[in-house]
Amino acid sequence: MSRVDHSPADARDPADDPYEVPPDATAFTCPRCGRPFARERHRDLHLGQDHPDLDDDERAAYERAREAESDDLRRFRIVSLGMLVLLYFGFLFLYAIAA
Amino acid sequence: MDRHSRCAGVARRAVPFALATLAALASAARVAAHAGGVRSATRETVTVPTWLFLATGGAVVGASFLLASAVTDRTYVRRIDGWGRALPDAGRVARFLARAVGIAALAITIVAGLFGPTSATDSAAVLIVWVGWWAVFVLSAYLLGNAWPAVDPFRAIAGAFPSLDRPYPERLGSWPAVAGLLTLVYLEVVTPMADDPRLLTALVLGYLGVSVAGSVAFGVDDWFGSADPVSKLLAAYGRVAPVTRTDDGLRLRLPGMGLTDAAWVDGRDDVGFVVAIVFVTTYDGFVGTGLWTDIARPLVEAGVPALVVYLAAMSVGYGLFLALYLASASAARRTADTYLAPGVLARRFAPSLLAIAAGYHIAHNLATALSLSPTLAVVLTSPLSPPATVPALLVPGWVGGVGVAAVLGGHLLAVWVAHSVAYDLFPDRLQAIRSQYGVTVAMVAYTMASLWIVSRPGGAPPFV
Repeated sequence: MSRVDHSPADARDPADDPYEVPPDATAFTCPRCGRPFARERHRDLHLGQDHPDLDDDERAAYERAREAESDDLRRFRIVSLGMLVLLYFGFLFLYAIAA
Repeated sequence: MDRHSRCAGVARRAVPFALATLAALASAARVAAHAGGVRSATRETVTVPTWLFLATGGAVVGASFLLASAVTDRTYVRRIDGWGRALPDAGRVARFLARAVGIAALAITIVAGLFGPTSATDSAAVLIVWVGWWAVFVLSAYLLGNAWPAVDPFRAIAGAFPSLDRPYPERLGSWPAVAGLLTLVYLEVVTPMADDPRLLTALVLGYLGVSVAGSVAFGVDDWFGSADPVSKLLAAYGRVAPVTRTDDGLRLRLPGMGLTDAAWVDGRDDVGFVVAIVFVTTYDGFVGTGLWTDIARPLVEAGVPALVVYLAAMSVGYGLFLALYLASASAARRTADTYLAPGVLARRFAPSLLAIAAGYHIAHNLATALSLSPTLAVVLTSPLSPPATVPALLVPGWVGGVGVAAVLGGHLLAVWVAHSVAYDLFPDRLQAIRSQYGVTVAMVAYTMASLWIVSRPGGAPPFV
């Protein structure tokens, strides 16, 4: 996969900036490559994934962000499982009635 | 050869298979179908109301999004995407042969089209263009790899002319190709191009003229790289194929993984081209439905020329498709809570639509490719005076089922490509899932609209 958008070298090239931060918004910028994120968690995760040389604080922040991410993912999985079950039985009944 | 009624026939035959496939995929449907079978005590296909058929199709796409989201291992997603082998480049002999085949095909098309028989099934011109090229060659472009740059006779001929090498206007980008593609499909719909060899040959000659003029003005690489609709179309389809051209030469990848590359859709114009590819399939089917007849009749009866009505439908429809796609892509900015520019999101998610387009191309053309390939082979032995009876393969009914499976397969591939792209774009995996909401809604809507068209009894476009 081409990771053109992710390489730090061109991430802040003003001619081809893939980011658009609304003027009144707070951005959490990456201290290494300057990319703006809407949430602290996104920035911490980005640091852990794209920059290998983290200091202790950044590593701790990354671990925390990963845990929060995993919790949210677990919640999403439960909701999506619920939706699949709903779809399944919804269609079961629809077919039983309509077909 | 009436392409429309053929498509409609395949579609009608395909509907029971669509139901069967969808039913097999959504197991809820499967149980109910059995129940229905028992109730009617026959082994006939269960007939379900259209709305339920459409809803099932939409639900399958929605459910596959939910299932794809369950894959949250970043390394795994990246490994699927990055898997591949380098392939040896085609040798000079192969290139020369490809070029020779292309030029020979064009020469036979022109000669047979101008001087050969005028009935569609006997005409080598009609068979080469619609069967050899549009059905079989395009099929090979997304199932194997895009060989068009090597075969392209228009490029070979245009390249032989000296060029003025004017700079290609940068801001036009791919928009001329968009206009070209829409024009070609418009002409295909409003003229009897699939049946009339003389008209078809005139169009091929016109196309050759435009290609030569374009490359004389701007240089052959600029013209065929940016403005030529056919080259762009096949290059886009070639991205779905397992064999793709990368910076390091030919590479074998998993099908569809060429769609996740960031670099090749590099502006709003390229997004416009991808949407045009998806749109023209829908337009081609829609103008054969009864709904279109009902919409167009009052306008035509009020004295508006039918050609204008068709043109208006095309411009409005394309504008609508583009606007809806851009809206669904920029919805990702809100749902994923990101500062990535809307244009970047639109560019990265657009290629996933090509997998869907390829699926519909199979559904529309597989039966034609199979049934008329023997006809093409026999007519080619003697293009100017073909034998009195030409063979055609009797396509078994299950081929329609393959088409519907291809439509679903295309959608599933598209869902996976969007998933893979989202993981590449966003550091937070939940953000990656949320970013796909808009595009998934667009895909569900598009599936339902397309299945609706497929389920209508189709016919030739009215009033033209």
